[in-house]
Amino acid sequence: MSNPATRTLIAILTTVVGVACAGERRDPLAPIDGRQILRVAYEREVDVLNAFTSQMLVDIHFSMVEGLITTDEHNSYVPVLAKEIPTDANGLLERMPDGTVRMTWPLQENVRWHDGEPFTSADVCFTWKFVTSENSQTYNRDWYLRISGCETPDEHTVVFTWSGEYAYYAGLFEAILPEHVLGGMTTEEIVNYTPYNRGAELVGTGPFRFAEWKSGEYLRVVRNEDYWRGAEYPVIDEIVWAFIPDANTRMNAMRAGQYHYARLEPTQVREVGDLEGYQLQLISSNTFLHLDFSLNTERSRLLFSDRDVRRALFQAIDREAIATQLMQGTVELANTPINPSGPYHNPNVSAARYDPTESARLLTAAGWLVGPDGIRTKNGQRFTFTLLNRAGTTDRIAAAQVIQAQLKSVGVEVAFETLESASWTQKWRSLNWEAIVSAWFLPADPSFTGLFQCGGPNNMTGFCDPELDEVMAASDRALNFEARKPLLDLAQQALADDERMLPIYYNVVPELVSTRIVGYRGSGTNFGSFWNLWQWSLK
Amino acid sequence: MTRYLTRRVLQMIPLIFGITVVLFAVIQAAPGGPEAALLESDRFIDPAVIEAYRARLGVDQPVPVQYLKWVGGALVGDLGMSFSTTRPVTEMIIERLPATLELMGASFLLATILAFGLGILSAMKQYTWFDHLGTGLSFVGIAMPVFWFALLLQLVFGVWLGWLPVAGTETVGATGLGDHLAHLVLPSLVLSFRYVAGWSRYLRSSLLGVLTADYIRTARAKGLSERRVVGVHALRNAMVPVVSVMALNLAGLFSGAVITETVFAWPGIGRMFVQAMFARDYPLLMGILLLGSVMVVIFNLVADVLYAALDPRIRYE
Repeated sequence: MSNPATRTLIAILTTVVGVACAGERRDPLAPIDGRQILRVAYEREVDVLNAFTSQMLVDIHFSMVEGLITTDEHNSYVPVLAKEIPTDANGLLERMPDGTVRMTWPLQENVRWHDGEPFTSADVCFTWKFVTSENSQTYNRDWYLRISGCETPDEHTVVFTWSGEYAYYAGLFEAILPEHVLGGMTTEEIVNYTPYNRGAELVGTGPFRFAEWKSGEYLRVVRNEDYWRGAEYPVIDEIVWAFIPDANTRMNAMRAGQYHYARLEPTQVREVGDLEGYQLQLISSNTFLHLDFSLNTERSRLLFSDRDVRRALFQAIDREAIATQLMQGTVELANTPINPSGPYHNPNVSAARYDPTESARLLTAAGWLVGPDGIRTKNGQRFTFTLLNRAGTTDRIAAAQVIQAQLKSVGVEVAFETLESASWTQKWRSLNWEAIVSAWFLPADPSFTGLFQCGGPNNMTGFCDPELDEVMAASDRALNFEARKPLLDLAQQALADDERMLPIYYNVVPELVSTRIVGYRGSGTNFGSFWNLWQWSLK
Repeated sequence: MTRYLTRRVLQMIPLIFGITVVLFAVIQAAPGGPEAALLESDRFIDPAVIEAYRARLGVDQPVPVQYLKWVGGALVGDLGMSFSTTRPVTEMIIERLPATLELMGASFLLATILAFGLGILSAMKQYTWFDHLGTGLSFVGIAMPVFWFALLLQLVFGVWLGWLPVAGTETVGATGLGDHLAHLVLPSLVLSFRYVAGWSRYLRSSLLGVLTADYIRTARAKGLSERRVVGVHALRNAMVPVVSVMALNLAGLFSGAVITETVFAWPGIGRMFVQAMFARDYPLLMGILLLGSVMVVIFNLVADVLYAALDPRIRYE
C-alpha cells in the first residue's frame, strides 16, 4: 500500500468522495435563494402532457392544467374554472320537452392562459369537439358523446345540450385545452403535437407553469404569477416532480429526507409509519377489488346459478384476514363498489361474513357433498373451477391464493389461469371464464351501472337483474343528490342481496407527507392528493 | 489488416439484419400490446377507444407488414415514433445516451483501476490473506444481486450516514459539480463492483500463468525489479484474455444498466428500456435493442483488433 500509484489513487478517491459529500451537506428540503421548492418523489414518468391523451392517472398535469371541476378529499366534485356546477337547485339545469337537458356552466372571469391569452367559453367547446372526435384517445370519450351540442352565449358562459339526463355530467371536463394553441389542427395532429405534449407550448390556466422536463429524471413547474385566484396564490414557488420508479428507492429517498412527498407501497407502511418529519396518510383509493363469478359458460352456470351456493362460497372467504393479515391492515374492507369516503356510500350494506360452518352447511344443503378426495361433488360433477388472474398484480394474485386455500377447506377446488393484461382483458371480454379477482378504478361519480346492468359494457359476468337495472338507470338519470342517493342505496343493497360478486377491499394508497407541508388534503381519485396545490405552502 | 476489417464490416450487415428480424419477432411474440398501458389503469375504457388506439399505432396490421415498415424506415435512419410519447425514437435515445455514457464510463474507469490493482496484487501475493480476501470479495461481487447491493448502499450512505443522495443526477435548484458527483458515486460504485469482481479474477489467473513462464524467469534473472517484470513484461501478455472480456462489456456502455439505472432513478438508456418494455413501446424497444446489438458486434471487432495490438503473434490476413 506504500507505492505512489496506490497513494495517488486513494487521494483521488478521497477527493472525489469528499467533494461529493461536501456538496450534499445541506438540508435537501430547505428553500433555495428564498424560493420554496416542493420536492415530490413521483412513481413514474408521465408520457405526454395532454391530459386527455395521457395514459397515466394525471395528477402532474393538473398542477398546470385546470378543468371545469376537480374532486376534493371527500370524493366530491368541486368547481374550478366553472363558477358553479349546474344543479336543479341553482337553476342551471333545464329539461327540454324533447327529453334533452340544457346545462349552463358559468365560467370564472379574468382567467388567463399561461401565455396571457384570455380563457373563454370557446376553449370549452373546442375541448368538447376534440374529445368527441374519433381517435382522440380519451378513455371516457363515450361519456362525452352524450353531449349533442355546445353553445357559447358569451365568453364566460357555456351551455351543453345533453341527449338525456346523465348524472355523471358533473365529472367531465377535468381539463380544458387552449383553442388558440391547438385550434386548426386535426385530432391526429393534436394527439401527436410534440410542443404541447412535451411542455414547450403547454399553456394551462393552473397555478403552475411548465418550466422544464428532463427526460427520465424530473419535470419542473414554476409559480404562475398571473394566477386567477389572486396574487397570493399559489404560495409555493416551484415544484420538482422527480421520477423515481423503484418503490424501495422512493422509500430510501424519503428516509434520507430528500423529498416532501411520495406515494409508497402498502408493504412499506410499517417501515415508515413513525418516520420523523413525516406523516403517513392512508388514502382510500377508488380502486375496488372484488371476486366475480360468471354465468356465461355451461360449467359456470352449473356451479354458480344457485344464490345459496354463491353465498356459501363467499362465506368461506375470510375477507377480514385478507385485509388485516395479507395486506397488513393497509387496505379498507369493502362491502359495496362505492368508496366510503364518498357521499353515495351505503354504510348499512354488508357483504357475506366469514362463516365456514354455515358455508359447509349451505353447500351440503344444495346437494354438493364431500367426496373421498375432500372435494364436493353433485351428480358426478366435482366442484372445481378456474380463477382468472392478471399477471403482475401481485396483491390480487395473493388474495386469489387465500381464496383458493379457503375454498379448498370447504371442499371446493380452484385452479388458476394467469394471463398478461391484454390477453386477460381479451379473455374477460370473450365471456369464456368462470371466476375472476379483479379491480375497478372508479371515478368520483358513483355510477356503477356499466359494471352490473344486463349486457352492460363492462358486465362480462352474465348476471342480469332487470329490477336492479331499473334502479341503476333511475339513479343515472337523477341529476341531484337527494334523488340519487336513495336509488344508489337501494342498488348497493340489491347487489349484496343477490350475492353476485364479493367486494374484498378498497386499495389504500400510503402517502408519506412532510410535516413541513401545509394545506395537504389527500384524495383517492385520479386527481390525486394534488387537487388543491394552489393552497399548499411549506413551513 | 484493411482487407480483414473491410470483410468483417461487410459481414456485419447481414448479421445485423438477421438480428433485427429475431428482435422484432421476439418483441411481437410477447403477450399483450401497447394497449396494456390503457388497461392497467383499471379504469372503464370504451373498447372502441382501444381499437382506435391500436389502429392509430399500426399494431393491428400483420407482423411482417409492421416489420417491413420499420426496417424501411430504419434503413434511412428513421427508427419511428415512440408509441407512448409520440416522439422520434432516435431523438429519445440521443437524449438519454449522455447519462448512460457518463454512468457507464465512470463505473468502467473505477472498475478498471480497482480490477487491475486487485488482480495484479492478488497474483503477486498468491495465497496470502490479501489474495484470499480478494477472491472472497470477487465471489461476493459476482454473486450479489445488483438491486440488493444498490439498496444496501442507499441505506448505509443515504439514510444512515446521510452522506450521499440516493436517486437522480442532481438536486434540482442546487446543482453543482459536487452535487452531481455525489449523485454519481453510488450508482457507479454498484455498477463497477461486478466488473471489478470479474475482471480481477481473469487478470489474476492470466497473470499467474504468465508469471511462471520462462521469459519472466529470464527477466528476473537479468536483475529487473519486480515492478518492471510484472508491469512491463507480464502484464501485456496477461491482458489478452481480459481485454476481450472488457471489450464485450464495453458494448454495454451504450445499452445502459437496466437495474442500476432503475434503482437509482438514473435517466439513462437502461431505464428507458424498462419503461418501453412495460408500455410495449415497440419502436422504442427496437431502437434500444438495435443500438445494443450493433455495439456488441462492433466491440467484438474491436476486441479482435486489440488482440493483434497486444499480442504480436496474432496477425489478421
